[in-house]
Amino acid sequence: MSIFRKIIKWLDDAAFVWRFELRQVLRDEGVLLFCIVVPLVYPLLYSWIYNNEHIHEVPVVVVDRSHSQQSREFVRMCDASADVRVVCYAEDLDDAQSLVSRQVVKGIYYIPEDFATHLNRMEQGTISVYCDMALMLTYKAIYQTAMAVSQQMGAQIQTKLSSNYTAREDLITTSPLDVEEVAMFNPQGGYGTAVLPAVLMLIIQQTLALGIGLAAGTARERNRYGDLIPIHPCYGGIGRVVSGKALCYLMVYAVMSTYLVVVVPRFFSFIHIAPWQNILQLMIPYLLACVFFGMTVSCLVRYRENVILLMVFVSLPLLFLTGVSWPQTSIPGYLQGVSWLFPSTFGVRAYLRLNSMGGSIGDVSPELRYLWIQVAAYLGMACLVYGHQLRVSQRHAQERLDYLRKKRKVRLALKKRQ
Amino acid sequence: MRYLCNIWRIAKREMKILWQNPIYLCCMLIFPILTMLFFTTMLDEGVPQEMPVGVVDLDNTSTSRALIRRLDGFQSSHVVAHYASVAEARHAMQENEIYGFLYFPKGTTDHLLSARRPKVSFYYSNISLAAGSMVMKDLKTVATLGSAAVGQATMRAKGFTPQQIQAFLQPVRIDLHQVANPWSNYNMYLSTVFVPGVMMLFMFLISAYSLGMELKFNRGKEWLAKADGNIVVALLGKFLPQALVFLVLIFFYEFYIYHVLHFAHEGGVWRIILMAVLQVFGSIGFGIFIFGLMPSLRMSMSICSLWGVLGFSLAGSAFPVMGMDTPIQALTWLFPLRHYYMLYQITVFNGYPLIDAWFHLVALVASTLLPWFVVRKIKNAMLTYVYIP
Repeated sequence: MSIFRKIIKWLDDAAFVWRFELRQVLRDEGVLLFCIVVPLVYPLLYSWIYNNEHIHEVPVVVVDRSHSQQSREFVRMCDASADVRVVCYAEDLDDAQSLVSRQVVKGIYYIPEDFATHLNRMEQGTISVYCDMALMLTYKAIYQTAMAVSQQMGAQIQTKLSSNYTAREDLITTSPLDVEEVAMFNPQGGYGTAVLPAVLMLIIQQTLALGIGLAAGTARERNRYGDLIPIHPCYGGIGRVVSGKALCYLMVYAVMSTYLVVVVPRFFSFIHIAPWQNILQLMIPYLLACVFFGMTVSCLVRYRENVILLMVFVSLPLLFLTGVSWPQTSIPGYLQGVSWLFPSTFGVRAYLRLNSMGGSIGDVSPELRYLWIQVAAYLGMACLVYGHQLRVSQRHAQERLDYLRKKRKVRLALKKRQ
Repeated sequence: MRYLCNIWRIAKREMKILWQNPIYLCCMLIFPILTMLFFTTMLDEGVPQEMPVGVVDLDNTSTSRALIRRLDGFQSSHVVAHYASVAEARHAMQENEIYGFLYFPKGTTDHLLSARRPKVSFYYSNISLAAGSMVMKDLKTVATLGSAAVGQATMRAKGFTPQQIQAFLQPVRIDLHQVANPWSNYNMYLSTVFVPGVMMLFMFLISAYSLGMELKFNRGKEWLAKADGNIVVALLGKFLPQALVFLVLIFFYEFYIYHVLHFAHEGGVWRIILMAVLQVFGSIGFGIFIFGLMPSLRMSMSICSLWGVLGFSLAGSAFPVMGMDTPIQALTWLFPLRHYYMLYQITVFNGYPLIDAWFHLVALVASTLLPWFVVRKIKNAMLTYVYIP
């Protein structure tokens, strides 16, 4: 056979594997669930959960023992702030604590008897803030509101005391240094904006690994010998099998991942500032790495259900390893090493920096390089494990063939004797 | 007595199954313990420390340098680089080198001394919320200190006492009490929800898996025969060894976090034990219920895993439930992890009376009893269904 013919034959075989795999995917409800339904529905659900981005009007209780004009002003100003709402007054701390216990409020503002006396004597007045630490976001809202109000009240007192003439002088007395705070990339500090891009990228990797693993499990269970690769002339070489299967999943996920990383952020107005060329340059190695990663994992599982047990629980640790919730610089070194095994680590980091922080391709070049290394490594591993599977199924075929030949021989011998 | 004998016989059979299939060993002991070690070691610092920040110091005077040294001295910030311009510093943020930076324009000290109110700025990235808020706190403190230092120096020169200076610069002081977690330790905050969450996920999955495997390998009839056809006895016997293994696992986890790592547990030992029991039986009940709804191995496991993963968000420990839309708030009631978290934070973490968490306690008990609705369906499935790959 000429070389040209060989190439054509190779492509033909790969295309056959591709078509066969796609038919398998579409027939298997488990694979359909993980590869189509979950990527379609989960992002919408997560976006809905984090849709409000913020918590406002955190309920607090006030214990006002001072009953003074100043204490009432403090309470009024806290109540007027965006983040805190004074829902009730309590007589003492025990009363207030029982309200926290019943989850009616999340914190207590306690104003002691001598608050106004101290202020009027030109001494420091103290307000105690008690926070329920079960929720970090409510704690921050309650504490930061109290801080801001106390600073504003302090500035008013300073102005009264310093007997200035002009407004400019007042300003210089209260804040000689003008401090500007700029929150970049996620100016409102929204929870969804910070977490969702990472979740979206992670969904791609996890559903791909689950889908490929389930499909492989089904293929084994349908096979007479429990083999991953069927005996068929088109499944003759490692290259065609691996590329055919990879093409099938790439085709499905080209659509699904476009929906995840391009459409969903626009639906819910999450930050999306990367041009499509940059996203494409990231998604190609990321998808390839995920597909080959999934194919490598799929060879490890004997039964289709085991892949669920293996892949689902790692989702949460993987999310933490990307450095979204817990700063990357605070993750211990050996866990960073573990995180390099998964495409999601680099995929999420690069996606965040491109799409949320407006970085250029040059800014994420280390991540892209690692992703391409992962593509090569997982391709090599996928070829190795599929090569092994191929040899196993060929051996089974040979054994079956030998068995059939032997049977025929015996039958012929029996016939002759008769 | 006959029932007890049957339960014991089925439990023995189940122990054999657990022993023979290594997947049970992995999912009931190895993976949960790995997850536990993962979270507790990763968050071991408690609060992120020494996070890289940068400085753009165009002023370059002893005042600005003193402030930068102060910033470097904070526990959570570490000044790693000086940049020549804001654009360069922003670029460093995009390259993941720093989480924030402080900017002193040229002539800051001059303007400060001549009372012309100069402007200094600090920039931080909120893409990683924990890092962003920690860095923001330090940068803000440094800038405020710079502002206060001026007033302090002037007043000292005029001969005021330290108390007078303090009272003038900060007339209203906030005395913060962080109840039960005064260090704002993230390890206590995250490991106590996410690790039990992963364990519950495994309990859901293993309950559905072990029932599904009876169907898959066609052992269901034999299993029911051992219970004389009584499905309740069969279920009790089957899940008794599993519940014991999970209880041991959770007691080990609780011993580790409360005794070795000294996490806050105002509620005391008995409530911790009660939580563990409710967690195990509630989760197994939920897993059996899901299998009963869809007696197919793959569908019940898929639903269990999707439900379990969603639970991490809907538990409302990171983003509070009160911040979600009302339909989602109602949805959170259907997640056992939500009730576990509420019960934990009210009774164990804060040590408030159990009666204030009665609803969540009842919800977990109800989750334990859920299989009641589907026992007949499970029996029917075991007797008549045929596994199709």
